[in-house]
Order: sequence, then C-alpha cells, then structure tokens
Amino acid sequence: MDKREGNRQNNLSMCIYLYCVTDKMPSLERIEKDFGAKVYSVSWNNLYAVVGSVPEDEFSKENLKKNLGDMEWLETRVRIHEGVIEGVMKNACVIPFKLATLFNTEDNLKAMLEEYSLDIKTNLRDLEGKEEWGVKIYLSMEMLKDALLKQDEGLSAIDTEICSASAGKAFFLKKKKEGLLSTIINERINGYGQDSFERLSKQSIRSCINKILPKEVTERQEDMILNAAFLIEKEGVSSFVAVVDSLKMQYHESGLFFDCTGPWPPYNFVSFQSSAI
Amino acid sequence: MDNVVISSKNATLLEVLDRVLDKGVVISGDIVISVANVDLVYLGLKVLLSSVETMEGMRGAPMSGANEEPT
Repeated sequence: MDKREGNRQNNLSMCIYLYCVTDKMPSLERIEKDFGAKVYSVSWNNLYAVVGSVPEDEFSKENLKKNLGDMEWLETRVRIHEGVIEGVMKNACVIPFKLATLFNTEDNLKAMLEEYSLDIKTNLRDLEGKEEWGVKIYLSMEMLKDALLKQDEGLSAIDTEICSASAGKAFFLKKKKEGLLSTIINERINGYGQDSFERLSKQSIRSCINKILPKEVTERQEDMILNAAFLIEKEGVSSFVAVVDSLKMQYHESGLFFDCTGPWPPYNFVSFQSSAI
Repeated sequence: MDNVVISSKNATLLEVLDRVLDKGVVISGDIVISVANVDLVYLGLKVLLSSVETMEGMRGAPMSGANEEPT
C-alpha cells in the first residue's frame, strides 16, 4: 500500500506554475470555476503570486518540446494562462509572466518575490489604471493596387501613353508602369503604417512595434503590415478606439484592415530592470 | 462599419500566442523555459518551437521583460 502510494506520488510529481503577480488579494473562486483548474495565491509582503499546480512531467525538457508542438495541449495551456491572468486583472493590476514559468517550491517562489519586489512594485505602480491594447493592420494588395491605379496621376498618365503607343514602346511603358507602381506601393504601405502608428501612439502612454507575422501564421489572405501594442489610460480607451475607427474608414478603400483587441494583460509593457547582484 | 474592437476574451489563438509565448516577464524560476529565445516557426496554426531550452539553477541570470527580437 505504502509502496503504491509512493509510486503514485512519483508519477504525479507537481510543480508550481506562475501566472501573474499582483498587490491585491486576488479572488480566485470565479477563475477556478471558469477553468476547472486549481488556482491559488502565494503571498509575500503584500505581493500575491497567482499560481497553479501542474504535473512536472508535462514541462520536462523533452516533454515540453513535444507538448508545444501539440496544438491541443498548447491551446489548452495558452487559454488557461491567458484566462487566469484576465480573471485576476478584473479586480487588480497585474504583472503577467511568460508561459511556463515554474517553481519547485513555494519557498523558491517567495524568494523570487522578495528578490524582485522592487521591480514588481515599480511595474505595478506604472501600470495602475492602464490597459494594453493591440492593433494589427493587414493589407489587401489587390485593393491597394486597384485604388492606386484609379487615383495616381503618374500611373494614369502612363496608361494614356500606352493606349496611343506602338507595340514596342507600349512594352517599355508597361515596364515603367510596373516599376512606378511597386515604388508607390512601398511608399504607401510605409506611409499608412507610420501614420496609423503615430496617431494611435498619441492616444497612448507607451507603444511598441512587434514582429510582423507571416501569412502561414495568420492564415489570412492579406499581409500583415503592422503589429503594434499600446498602453492606454482606462479613461482614454474610447478615444483610442475612435481613432482606430477613423483610420479604418480612411484607409478602407486602400485595402487596409484593422484588428483592434483588448484589454490585454500588459505583456508588452512589463520590464524588470534589476537583476540580482 | 462593424465594431472594430474584439474583446481579448474572444481573441483568436494567434493573438493570444503572439503575447503569451513571446512577451511577459521572464525571470529565472527554478526551471526557466526560455521561450524568449525560441524561434517560433508556425506552420498554419501548428506551432513548432524549434529550440526550447530548460535552464536550471540560473537564479541571478540577467532577465528581461517584453522581449523585442528582430526577426
């Protein structure tokens, strides 16, 4: 009997999975109900780490690699990670941690809270009353080309020339038109992206530009041309969204599509300065 | 115009992955999976993480917050 118990414990060796840290006592019943996952908090000196218990086995070096490639496992983990943090975020300012930050013991976790308490407090103070929002801009090349061919005078002028040109000359004019078109397209994409980012940044306290994700990832027909995140005062969210709306209308005919999402935990705006010395 | 805002609760897996895998505070826990330095190679929505490293006993190593890595 004892032996079996021991074996079972070995098989189900658990470790502590850290979701986020906050400075308000989090209420976790709701989150537990929503996710069916056991969540609890470990506190040190008025800081609360919201954690769960996960099988160590799932996160071992070999298994994690396998599991991260398993869409079902990944989606479940990622949704719980996000869901728990969003649940805590409803009533408190949070510092989100990266997926799969693990501790062996509560003491080690508390030691981390102690070690980084200054960073944690600084971040929480900076983030109080603010929300992260994301804007991704996608471009339909077809729509942009159509719009440019209608609007751009240089291009129309070449078109007129082509109509009355000899076959040989028309060939070169077409080449010239293609070159001009691709130059204009590049200029426009940069211009639209920059204009959008600047106007949205003005509505925010901080902003950052992230990696453009390729079509294989986005599974959209349009190309992503901007992937940005913004930290916004809660009171400023409606004016931020109004700017997104007006950009959307302004650039719709040029083939731009805006995906605006939020509020997110401030993943893009947390940073710990000090490293343990 | 339809509403531009999608609440993050209803966000696509892509939106969540874009944050959870790549951002957030990275610290040296007991086991740190350095997803920070992982090149994300997505195939459709099938995500393969090419180099997951598990580092143990790295307390005190330099850490970073939101990582910005050029592709």
